This record gives sequence, C-alpha cells and structure tokens, in this order.
Amino acid sequence: MKKLALVLAGMGLFLAAVPVWAHHAFAAEFDANKSVKLRGTVTKMEWINPHAWIHIDVKNQDGTTTNWMVEGGTPNTLFRRGITKDSLLPGTEIVVDGYQAKDGSNRANGRDVTFPDGRKLFLGNANSDAPGSGAAEKK
Amino acid sequence: MNTRWIVWMIAASAAAAPSGSIPRTTDGKPSFSGVWEIPYVPDMSKSGRAAPGTVPAQIGPGALPFTPWGEQDFKGYNPEKFDYTAHCLPLGWTRQMNTPMPLEIMQEPNRIAILFEAWQTFKVIPTDGRNHPKNVDATWMGNSVGRWEGDTLVIDTIGFNEKTRLDTIGHPHSDQLHVVERLNRTDPTHLAYEITITDPKAYSEPFTNKRTFTLRPDWELMEYSCEENNKEVTEGHVK
Repeated sequence: MKKLALVLAGMGLFLAAVPVWAHHAFAAEFDANKSVKLRGTVTKMEWINPHAWIHIDVKNQDGTTTNWMVEGGTPNTLFRRGITKDSLLPGTEIVVDGYQAKDGSNRANGRDVTFPDGRKLFLGNANSDAPGSGAAEKK
Repeated sequence: MNTRWIVWMIAASAAAAPSGSIPRTTDGKPSFSGVWEIPYVPDMSKSGRAAPGTVPAQIGPGALPFTPWGEQDFKGYNPEKFDYTAHCLPLGWTRQMNTPMPLEIMQEPNRIAILFEAWQTFKVIPTDGRNHPKNVDATWMGNSVGRWEGDTLVIDTIGFNEKTRLDTIGHPHSDQLHVVERLNRTDPTHLAYEITITDPKAYSEPFTNKRTFTLRPDWELMEYSCEENNKEVTEGHVK
C-alpha cells in the first residue's frame, strides 16, 4: 500500500503538470476563479464514461451537510493511472480540490483528492484551459 | 528555430535506434501497428510540460499566425454557448488526435486503420497510391490518403466541414483546412508524429505541432460510450 502511495504521488506530480482532459471545454461549465476545497465523506462513486463522478457529503461550518458532485476524468484514463472503482468507496473521508460550476450549484470539476494519510489522487480534468491554472501544487 | 525545437531534435535523434531494429510489414515499410499512448493536447499552440530530465511529449509552435478572420473567430469562441463535443458529436480529425486516450494502428501494405479509444471511432487510410476523390464531401473527420516518403508515412487529409475546432481551447478552422501528418518510427517503442495545419482563411501561414507517441504493448483499447452517462447534457449543465 505504501509503495502504491509512492507511485501515485510520483505520477500525480508529473501528471498534474499535464492536466488530463474532459471531453468538453472546462470553460463551458466551470469557473477557474471559483476554486473550492471540499472536505467530506464519499457517498457514491459513478465509474461510468464519459466522466467519473464522486458524490460527497460535505459538512458546512454551520453544522449542516451538503451533497456535492465532483467530476473527474474518464474512468479509462483513471484506471490506467491505478485508480479503480474501489479507490473511493462510500464512507471514505477525502478532501477534494477543484473548481465550482459557473451556475453556483454544488458541482465541481475535481483536480485532486487527498486522503487523511496525505496520499493524493489526481482526477484528471481539463484544468489546462482554465486561465492561470497549471500544475497542481504539491505539498 | 527556437531552443525547444533544438532540444527536441537532439533528444529525438539521440533516442533513435538503427532502423533495422524496428518491425516492418511484408512490403518492407516500417510498421506502426500497436497500441500507442498519445499526449493530451488541449491547445495546439502550446507545449506540454515534461517530467524532469525528459523532453515534452508535445511541442507547439507558440503564438499562432492568425488571419484577421481567424483571430476574430477565436476571440468570439465561447464554449458556454455550444460545445459540440459536450454533446458527443464527432471530435473532428485534429481534436481526435489531441485526446489523451490511446489509439491502435493496424497496418497492412495498402491500408492503415487507426482505431481511437476516444469516442470509440476509427479511420481507414488507403496507402495504395490513390489521391483524394475529385469532389470530396465535407465531413467531420475529413478524407485521408496516405503515402510513403522513404520510411516516413505521410497522411494527407482534406474535406472538412466547419462544425469542429482544431483543439479544446477552440482554435478555429475553415473548410479550407488541409492537414498533413508525418509519422516516423524512431525506435521500437516510439513514434515521432508531426502535424501541420494549413488553412489560409484562418492562418496566414502553416503551423506545426510535434509529438511523441509511446508504444504500450500491455494496453488494450477500452470501451468508451460518450453518451452513456453524459450528465452534462442529461442534467442540463451545458447548452
């Protein structure tokens, strides 16, 4: 598991510099200026083309919970990077970094998922056509 | 010629193995058969970043030589208004080559088939010496013919409709688009790919994009149904 984590971290470092693509323009739907950090629990993972979707329950500061849906790249490319439909099972606690939908709804284009132990998964989206975006910052 | 291209050429020639080590078909031509990992190119003017110590898998020309029409069309492009790919319509030839999903080449002496995982589509390219038909119908993917220049496969494509964009960022083209691709098998696991765009309505001169494809003998093309769970469309998030 540790070796896998190192491999994933290493791949993420490189792949974040060459963002992977959504089948349509990021700019059609998401706002590069609305970056979001969603801390919550996975409720469902949709592992179907054209995009993987992660549904997470996010605890708000006022104690309420909001369900967000986060778009990832196609399962095909995620699979080749070592991510599978079992990587994000319901109940998993994660932090998602991404960009919110332009219409302000609870949808985001996901860039990275971080696990409590610090491991990062790059979700692979068309962040490159978001202005000013480039490689994801790796801590 | 800028520094990036010099670095690329040095690296490419350093990586080249003697030509006798690459597989060939029965007619003696280099074989491009196999599943190839191709670099993601959302913007054909730019270069991809490279992992430390390596050459980028994709090198772009920099600022594109727009005509006034081309520049105005590009500035006016707004994917929020309508992005044809979000609706799973055909990507168009250049954008099909730009995806990060792999392709498979199946090569016989007079015909080459390129199978694309993205959109699960294909193109068959005759290499029997024929030219384009006289009156080419305008299509999404254009009409392609291939020919050999020594060990270089040259794919020539014309006959495009005007419903597509060259890349995700939205660089324009007209029905005058003429695409020439040159493929060279530099060594058993790499293919040097060069695509030149000529479109006098959109660009005052041709421009070229250079890429490296990597052979993936352990990969198989996977199924891809764009329409299957396209929430963007079914839930009304895109127009």
